[in-house]
Amino acid sequence: MVPPIVSIALPMALPLVAVACTPAPLSDPGQLLQVLGEFLSLSLFSLGGGNTLLAEYHHLAVDRFCWLSPRQFADLYALAEAAPGPSSMIVGLLGLGAAWREGPGWALLTAVTAELAILLPSTLVMVVACLSWKRLEHAPLRVAFERAMGPITLGILFSVGLKILHSADTDAPGVGVSIAVCVLMLRSRLSPLWYMAVAGGLGALGLINR
Amino acid sequence: MTDSREQPSSPLAPRPSLLSLFLGMLQVALSAFGGGLSAWSQRIVVEQRRWVSNEQFLTGLTVARLFPGPNQINMAVYIGADFHGLVGALVAMAGMLLVPFSLLMALGVLYFEVHELPAVDRLLAGVVAAAAGMALSMGFKILDQYWKDGMALVLAGAVFLALSVFHARLIPVVLVSGPLAMVWYWPRAGGSRS
Repeated sequence: MVPPIVSIALPMALPLVAVACTPAPLSDPGQLLQVLGEFLSLSLFSLGGGNTLLAEYHHLAVDRFCWLSPRQFADLYALAEAAPGPSSMIVGLLGLGAAWREGPGWALLTAVTAELAILLPSTLVMVVACLSWKRLEHAPLRVAFERAMGPITLGILFSVGLKILHSADTDAPGVGVSIAVCVLMLRSRLSPLWYMAVAGGLGALGLINR
Repeated sequence: MTDSREQPSSPLAPRPSLLSLFLGMLQVALSAFGGGLSAWSQRIVVEQRRWVSNEQFLTGLTVARLFPGPNQINMAVYIGADFHGLVGALVAMAGMLLVPFSLLMALGVLYFEVHELPAVDRLLAGVVAAAAGMALSMGFKILDQYWKDGMALVLAGAVFLALSVFHARLIPVVLVSGPLAMVWYWPRAGGSRS
């Protein structure tokens, strides 16, 4: 039997513990709409090709809705980078993880829904942009927008890089590998799949841990 | 005498149907499995199928990079919308995503099935370290072009601080910094800043 003092203290202590966060159930329609709203609005802020949203995905999936642990998030990011196709498909993986407890069928449906939510708004903007590009091309608004978004994207990408490094949470050799890969990405044109394969091998041998 | 094959402006093909738009994008996505999506897309859409001229293609790339959304998807949307409006855009996007997305979902299902196995977790620890390096390189990759623009570095620094140190959310940060930066970079009649 749990002593009364502990049973009172426990709920109060819970918010301080990292695992206190309970996964948001997607079967609740209100919750589902809220999640959809988050992805739909983020879509319009996917500057610089979409990688700028990674830290926000982390915030939603790990901190806010508690679908994934930081470690799982880092795993899914690596998976999306390793697989062919746009890496922004990580949103599908987040959807998969969000509903995994409710069975693979429901998880896949959630994955497709999440991916559509992140793609549709930016697609609509893109269609309008294509149809009115002739007028937009030399407009001061367009020129200012393009120049302004560059530095902002730069700041966001550094923040995203740090966030992913933080959630990867490897030991010192692992961080060394991260830094080496970062330098290689800038200096060499070799496919990053090689780096992932070699680092995966080092991990399997027990040389990189987390 | 000129060889007709070498003429730069070979006539464009007639407007593709929705089906051939879908198949064309499927072909681009499949060809690019080893990487180099933009190059493949140019080869197939411009040279092979002759749907758009090279000039149109380059304009498309500019538009795709400028507006929100993944660049490759935006490029497909640009081509699709040009021929069939919104429906064309969605069909092109579906063609581009169908195979890679299905594959990624298969990988994802596999991941959630096996990620708790110690051997898999050890392997992933390494892969994740490499992936973190890739994420870290994204900012450095575009840093070069802003070295001589002090204001750009100040802006980027402020955005970084707001997000990483003060833990502000992305949308409010962009909504505040975006208009400020646009005022600063608004093209002036004198054209002193280019």
